[in-house]
This record gives sequence, structure tokens and C-alpha cells, in this order.
Amino acid sequence: MTHGVTRVDLTGWARLSVLCSTAAIAACVGRIGDGSGDTGGSSGPGGDPPGTTTSAFTCDGSLTPDALPLRRLSKLQYENTLRDLLVHTVGDEADAVFSSLAGPLGKMPDDEREGPAGELGGFTRLDQTVHQDHVDAMYEVAAAFGAALTDGARLSAVAGDCAADADGGNDQACLESFVRDFGRRVLRGPVSDEDVAFYAEVAGAPPLEPADWADVIALLLNAPRVLYFVEHGATEVTGHAGLFALDPFEMAARLSYHFWQTTPDDELLAAAESGELATEDGYQAQVDRLFADPRTRQAVEGFFAEWLQRKDIDELDSRLGTPVYDAFVDGYLPGPDLREHMYAELGAMAGYYVFDEPAAFDALYESDRSFATTADLAELYGVEPWDGAGEPPQFPDAERVGLLTRAAMLATGSANTRPIMKGVFIRKALLCDHIPPPPNNAAASPPALSGTYTTREVVEQLTENEGTACAACHPTFINPLGFATESFDALGRWRATQRLLDPETGELLDERPVDTTSVPRIVPEDDRPSTGAADVSRFMLESEKPQACFARHWFRFTFGRAEDGKKDGCLLGDLHAQALEGKPLAEVLRAVAVSPAFRERNFEEVQP
Amino acid sequence: MKRLLSRRNVLRGAAGFALGLPFLPSLQPKSARAGDPPFAKNPRFVALATHHGGIWGANMFPGDGAGDSMSYVGRTIRRRDLELSLAGGKASVCPVISGSADKLTAALVKKLNVIRGLDHPFYIGHHTGGHLGNLARNDANGSDGAYMQAFPTPTIDQVMAWSGSFYPDLSGVLKRSMIIEHGHNHISWNWSSPDSKTGTIEEVGGIDSSLALFNEIFVPEEDPQEKRPPIVDRVLEDYKRLRNGDRRLSGADKQRLDDHLERLDELERRLKVSVSCGDVQVPTQDSAQELGSSSYGIDPAAQRRFWQLMNDVIVAAFTCGTSRIATLNCGDIFDTFDGDWHQGIAHQCHRPDGAAQVTMSAAHQMFFEEVFLDLASKLDAIEEADGVTLLDNTLVHWTQESGAYTHDSISQPVITAGSAAGVLRTGSYLDYRNLQKVVNGGGYEGAEEITHAGLPYSQWLGNVLTAMGVPASEWANPETGGYGPHYIGEGMGQHYEDATFSKMGEMLPWLEV
Repeated sequence: MTHGVTRVDLTGWARLSVLCSTAAIAACVGRIGDGSGDTGGSSGPGGDPPGTTTSAFTCDGSLTPDALPLRRLSKLQYENTLRDLLVHTVGDEADAVFSSLAGPLGKMPDDEREGPAGELGGFTRLDQTVHQDHVDAMYEVAAAFGAALTDGARLSAVAGDCAADADGGNDQACLESFVRDFGRRVLRGPVSDEDVAFYAEVAGAPPLEPADWADVIALLLNAPRVLYFVEHGATEVTGHAGLFALDPFEMAARLSYHFWQTTPDDELLAAAESGELATEDGYQAQVDRLFADPRTRQAVEGFFAEWLQRKDIDELDSRLGTPVYDAFVDGYLPGPDLREHMYAELGAMAGYYVFDEPAAFDALYESDRSFATTADLAELYGVEPWDGAGEPPQFPDAERVGLLTRAAMLATGSANTRPIMKGVFIRKALLCDHIPPPPNNAAASPPALSGTYTTREVVEQLTENEGTACAACHPTFINPLGFATESFDALGRWRATQRLLDPETGELLDERPVDTTSVPRIVPEDDRPSTGAADVSRFMLESEKPQACFARHWFRFTFGRAEDGKKDGCLLGDLHAQALEGKPLAEVLRAVAVSPAFRERNFEEVQP
Repeated sequence: MKRLLSRRNVLRGAAGFALGLPFLPSLQPKSARAGDPPFAKNPRFVALATHHGGIWGANMFPGDGAGDSMSYVGRTIRRRDLELSLAGGKASVCPVISGSADKLTAALVKKLNVIRGLDHPFYIGHHTGGHLGNLARNDANGSDGAYMQAFPTPTIDQVMAWSGSFYPDLSGVLKRSMIIEHGHNHISWNWSSPDSKTGTIEEVGGIDSSLALFNEIFVPEEDPQEKRPPIVDRVLEDYKRLRNGDRRLSGADKQRLDDHLERLDELERRLKVSVSCGDVQVPTQDSAQELGSSSYGIDPAAQRRFWQLMNDVIVAAFTCGTSRIATLNCGDIFDTFDGDWHQGIAHQCHRPDGAAQVTMSAAHQMFFEEVFLDLASKLDAIEEADGVTLLDNTLVHWTQESGAYTHDSISQPVITAGSAAGVLRTGSYLDYRNLQKVVNGGGYEGAEEITHAGLPYSQWLGNVLTAMGVPASEWANPETGGYGPHYIGEGMGQHYEDATFSKMGEMLPWLEV
């Protein structure tokens, strides 16, 4: 029980009646402990004023990185594992058998996006909760899996003719051989004699029925080594008490689940078994092989799509039929999948610059190409759909350059843009800056669509009154980043003017030029004025913060946990430096797997 | 345990399944304590949580009237009997608490309580944890909420679910608690190792399929000769081999294994449960089918069907004894509004023109009638002993996310039905506000609603646990006596006297029989 008896009685509690009160906050600072999960000090954003997030990581080789305890497979990884085991055992029937598991698999809880800033830049891999439903569903899945593999003729295909023949005298040997072979795939490593005896015992005494075999398979599928990365380490790293190099099978699992989101294949297991994976050359060769596989592209695109996905975009067709939204879309008909197509473009863009036309990190902020593969999104951009293979079409609008001008960064699902939310996303997810929570009740009245003022003017009136609590952060660190893309509307279409619609009837009342100028203060001391998205993108890259933020996110995706700016400084610094040096993204992404951190594990608090 | 029930009554649910109900003869007089005849030994608990709120007092609570008053912790508080008015086939306690006169009867109203003046004394903003006690589960809309995120706490439904006092006998229990929601909304929380109360505080997952829930609480009878022994004991042994083996693991690794082992223990326990509830037929409809419609979010009829299908399963589970706790987290709007409900309605509710308030109140009235009242009526239709219904043996508990203003947690409304097996006095409008302490005097954009400082909501949560038979030794904050962490937000101290928090370990006035 956390009692947490703390009584705070300060002045300045903002009531509805004093929204953005004049109880001025002197500076835009946070509370120690908020932020990215860094343990504080000068190396991380926790508690730092916005804009001052450290991006120059320091490598202190004497520190030992933390480890995620008994990391759980993501739901995607678990499902992929089952599918690959089916391919291994029943070949062509794999898809059909996998489909038959849909019922129990559906009971497995979905992972949620988590991270230091919650869903902003969060990843499902960081969801490490284990509900009762996980355990229940896994038990049911395993039972169904066992039953399916021992059904009819499949048993002999799975375990050999000895399992299905009439001779009960060979059953025990047949079973033990099966446990050793199938167990190696299921458990992702060697199966000891003790393991063989343990898993075989559940079948009972021969002669064995199919149901006995099913129990053995189900027991194997329930093993802790299936749901979790069970790591024991091999040899202790000199000078680091509690830090151990992983054994080759543990490394194989990390590599495979990181790049392919699934269990190691035969070649990787063989490399672990032969000891090749324990050599530098052998390890590098496997990293190269895995990275070249199409499954890695899926994982990498998934990483970018998840990192860059804003969750505050409503369905883009949900307001069709209302006067204001109908007037806003002005003849364009957003479909039910448009939002997903916008998200998909982000992954496709990253995939292109990682694998097709290898480029450095900066390309994400400088690209003037459309990666919209569907007609609905391409129409918004004014280009033809990209076929996914050739050269992507160039945007017709000169102002549309880089990540910040992609539709997924701009759309809202309403007729109004959201400069505040755009600014918050850039600050938190792209710059990894900490922003303190808004004053109490500040969100009680969000910016509304006005028939008189532009969205920018409404936001300025609401949040930038001098001397108010809101004005401590909004005019300096949040709004300017959002204002920079006000030349794009709430569907991501370019515009020179904002059409001012009657909030009730949708009638066009006025048309006013949009203003994208601002002082974005990527870092507090940078007071250069910007004319729009291109300038902001450039200032961001020059600040070196997006590259550092990318390093943080790739670290989180890789290790399934938030980074510690100090203890993980060596790897973060290396990834950051490579991004700054302009190394191809593919190289930077691959670099994480050859780092010591990827191949070692901290066993602090080791108990006998 | 095989529990064979004779037939006295039949519940026929909307899902089309029929359930034979128990005849539990008891002719003894009512008693004030749970477990004393004619009340059931083991009360049931239902928590219904709805999002937003922002209902003005005149719509959410009964109007002024004669009643009792008393001095309590430095303030004057009030109580009076709930009164029902009838007009045109509609019965009303107040605009929100109203419904068809054949459902909202005078007899049923006597089993309700309407409680006003229970506060989280800090700015919590949007949350789902505030309903049942995990104040850390909020959206950090303000600095108070962000601060409270550091203090995760199990919710009271899970305190009950894992209490030996609440569940002294688990032999017939298939689900300790039924968490019902669609989407991840984070209503119920508990320790990762709930039995030992160790580890971290994690969400307890919910379910959106009434059919799947039904299948979890009703296990078809099997021929014992054909039933294959489960292998869960071997799975447990496998985890123990790893946990207690001699290979290297960190302390945190072992904690994770301990967490998993507890869940396997729970699975093993459930697999041993054998119950029979008579002629139970599998439902023919599934709530999850409703969710498949793209218009579900703006289709009140579909939303009604979703929750009423769940109500049927809850009643069946309670009757059968396979579960005694249900927690429902409802984010549905019960309106056809196709815009941004949050911004367009919830955040406009304070405006004096009342347009958004009318919409919001009507939506809450529909929830009351179609979900809360539907459940209460179904529970009340089942007689468990002479003169005592399943509703009497239950505490149904409806709370809203906000008080009279969206984002605000002053006077978070609490509507209850049932007496928790004879413990709670019912039929009351309880007003615990201190009318001398204005918290919000209105004024913002012309808002006219005035709110007053109430009593701590955490005192109420403790009262619920007490009513459900869970002793304070299992949950009370030793420094306050209430449930969970105690925090007074920035600038809020001026609204509360120290005495306000001096009796948090006691039952609120007029609640006990």
C-alpha cells in the first residue's frame, strides 16, 4: 500500500474562473522525476526546462546499464513465434492451423504503446505487463496448438511415424527424440536431459495416445522460455560486477526478435550451437544476414510508424455530414482508412531511406517526396500514388518538405488544425523535450473554431496573455512549433489562406492569410526567426536534438525499456554520433545490435 | 464443488438464455449485518463508471426539501428520503435519475442512495482511476494529477477480489472479478502478484464480449470419466524449476516469475472449480457483435444492447455464485452526436445557455435508465430469500468521472442501489457538502454552477470496503483511516478544515442501518 500522505497547500490553483491565471509562473520548468525516465542529473530531460534536454550523451564506461527483468515477448512476437513453429512442423498447413487458434489467441491482451511520454512516441514493446489473461490465453493456445498438431495424420508428420504406429514399445524413445528436437525450436536453445525427462513425463507411460502427445506439446508451449526472454548470461564482464555476456542462444533470440519479431531460424540456431555466433566475425555475419532479410524491413518500418504515430487524430470521416466539416473538406471525401494510410506513409518513407535509397537521418526532415501509395492520400498531396518500387513522386508544393509536413503530422479529424498538439508532439516525440503538465484546469476550454479569427489567433488569445501561467510555456516552447505548419489545413492540404467558417452552419465568412512565422526556440538560446516548416526542420537538425531523440527511441524499441541518460550513455552517444555524422540510417539501425549493450545483461541483485 | 439448484424463479435475459434460480428458504427477520439471515452471507459488488460527467446539481441531484441535518466534522450536512414524482408514465427523482415508471418504482427508489459532496480534494482532470481508488491513473491534465501519478494503488474491486474476507470460499468461484469494458480504459488495478500484494501496480484487463464472459463463468458440465486432467500443475512446476533452479537470475527476474506463478495458481484454482447452475443455455447474442458496427459510437440503441447483454451475464454469475464482483467501465456517450463529444459537449457543459448541459444530462439519464436501472431491476427480480432480493444482497455503485464541471472532481456523484446484504441504509439523498465553503463560484464564460467542498471520496471508498465485509486492516491508510493516498491539491487547503479529514476511518453519517 502506498500511503503517500502528502499535503500541499500552495496558492495559484487555477480555477475555471481564472483560466491561465495571472498567478504567473516565472519559468517553464517541470517537476523532478517527470520526463523521459532518465535518472536525473545533467544527462537527461527529467525536470529540465523545455528546450534544454541534453542531447550530448556522455559515455562513462564504469557504469553498468540496467536490464529489463524477464522481458516478455510482445503479442506480435508471440503470434509470429507460433506461426513459425507451425511452418516448421506442419508446413503448408501452417496458415490453416494458425487460423484455428484465433479463438484462444484473441484472448491474449493487446499491447499498449508505452514510453516516458506515454503514447507520444511510445512503443508496444515497452508494455511489459502480464495480466491473468496472458496466462489464461497462453494455456488455452497451447492446448489448442497441441490438439491441432496431433490431430489425425498430423501426428506422424510432426513427431514421426513412430508416434502413430501400432508399436507402443517405441513410443518412449520416439517421444524423447521429439522433445529434444521440437523443444529446441520451441525453447530457442538446447534441451537438457533433465528437460527431456520433465516434458516427456506429462505424457505418462506408453503406449501413448494422441492426447498424450498433445499434452507434451502444450506443456512445451507453456514453458517460461516461450513467453519470456529467459537469460542467464555466460561470462562476467571484467570490471562490471553483475554484468554478464549473453550465451550464443540468448544472443540469437535477441537478434531474431529484434530484427524479425520472431523466433530464430535454423541457421541462427545452428550458428549459436556451433559457437560461430560467439565469434565477432560470426556474429557480424548473422547481423548482416538478418538485416538483409525482408522481415527486418517490416520491423524497421513498424518502428518508425509507431514512433511517429500521433494518437490524437480522430477518424477523418467521422464528422462527414456535419455542416462545418462538409464545408471544410470542400468536395474531398475522406474514407474510413485515410488516417491509416497517413500512418502507413511514415513507415514507407523510412523504409525507402533505410533500404531502397540508403540515406542519412536528415533525409527524413528534408525529403520532398510523397510515399502515399493510395489514391486518397495522394490526392491530398496533389500527386499520383507511389507504386512502392520506383522513384517516389515529388510534392508540387515547395513548402512541403520533410517529416513535419506529412499529412499524418497535420491532420486532426476536425475542421480545425491543432497548433498546440502539433507543438507538443514535436517537443516530446521528435525532440524528446520534457514539458511540464499544464496548469490545473488549463485544458478546460480548448481552442474552438472561430468565424472571426484564424486558428493561430485563437490559440494566441487563449494561451499567450502575458503574465499568465499558460504564457510561461506556450509562446516560447509549444505554439511556435505548431504555427510553423499552419500553411497546411486539418487534412494536410497546403493552403495560403485559412477559410473562416461559421462554427454552426459552415458558411464561409472570411478568408485570411495564414501566418507561419515564429521563433521556434529549438534550444532556448536560439532566437532565430523562422518563416515556416522548412526553417523549423533546419533549425531542428542543426540543434542535433532530433538525432539524439531518434537514438533514444531506437534504444527503447530495441531494449523494451526507457533509457537512462547516464548508464546507457555509451550506446546512446554512439548512435547519436553516427546519425550526426550522416551515416546511412541502415548502418545506424544495425549498429545497435553489435554494441556491447545488446550482447550483455545486468544481473544486479543476483540471488543464489 | 457441485452446486445443484432447485428452481424458484427464472431469469430470462435479453441474450435469450434462461437460468434456473435458487430457492433459499429463510423466514427470519431482517438484520443489520451482512451474513445474518435473511441476507446472504456474501454480498456482491458492481461498479459502473462513466466518463465525463459535468452535470449541474439541479439535473444530477434531488431538489431542496425537508429532511434531517446534523453537524459533522465542522459542517452541517443533510439527509432526506428520496422522493419519486410521476408524470406521463415517467418516474423521476431528478432529471438524470428518471425512467419508465414501471421500472423506476417507489419500491426500487427505496433501495437507492444518491450521494452528493464526495470530493477528490485536488485537480485530477481526466481519469479512470478516481472511480475506485487508483488516483495515479489520470491523464496529467494538471500538475496535481501529474503529481499523483507517482502513487499507484489497487482499486477497491481488486481489494475485494483478493480478500479472504470477501471470498472466504473460492471453491465455486470462476472469476474473482468481471472487468467489462471495450477499449483499454484502465478502470481496475492491482498488484502484479495480487495474492502476496507484491510487485508493481498493473491494470487488470477487461472483456468486451458478453458471450466470452458467459463462457468464463459457466463451464459446461463434463463427464468426469472423459475429462482429461489439466496440465497446469506441470506448467507450475516448470516455472518453479526456473524460479528455484541454480541458474543465474536477478531478483527482479524472480519477482516476475513469482507474479507469473501466482497467475498460474489462480488458473489452477479455477480449473478445479465445477459448478452447475441448472438449465443454463448459452446466450444467442454477443455484445462484441455490436462493436463491429461503424456507427456503434453514435448509436444509443446499440450501446444499450451492449451493456444490457453484459447485465444479463452479471446477474447470472451472481445468481450462480461463480463471481461476486463486476466492474463496468463505460465510455459510450448514449447520444447520436456525431461531432467531438469531448470538446463539443463535455467542455461546453458549463455554458449558461444550457444547450450542451441538456445533451449531457440526457445522455446520463439514458445511461441511468438503460444500464443502471436495467441492472438493478434484474437483480431485484430475483428473490434469494423471502423479502430479500439479489439486489438487496448487492451494492451497485455508479460514479462519474467529473463533478459539476468537466475535469473537476468536486462532488463526484455517487448513485447506489442495494444494501450490500443489509449493511447500508438506503432510500436517502445524502448531501455532505459544506455550504459555507465555495470552491467554484462560477463566472468562467458565464458559468453559473456553484460548487462546495465535500467530504473525502476516499472515506466513501473505505465505507464500501467495510460494507462488503473487508476489514480495514486489509486496506486502510494508517495515517488517515481512509482508502489510498491522501492528497490536498495546490490551493485547495483553504476549502477544507482539518476536521474534514478527521473521521476518514468511520462510516459516513446516515449510511449504516
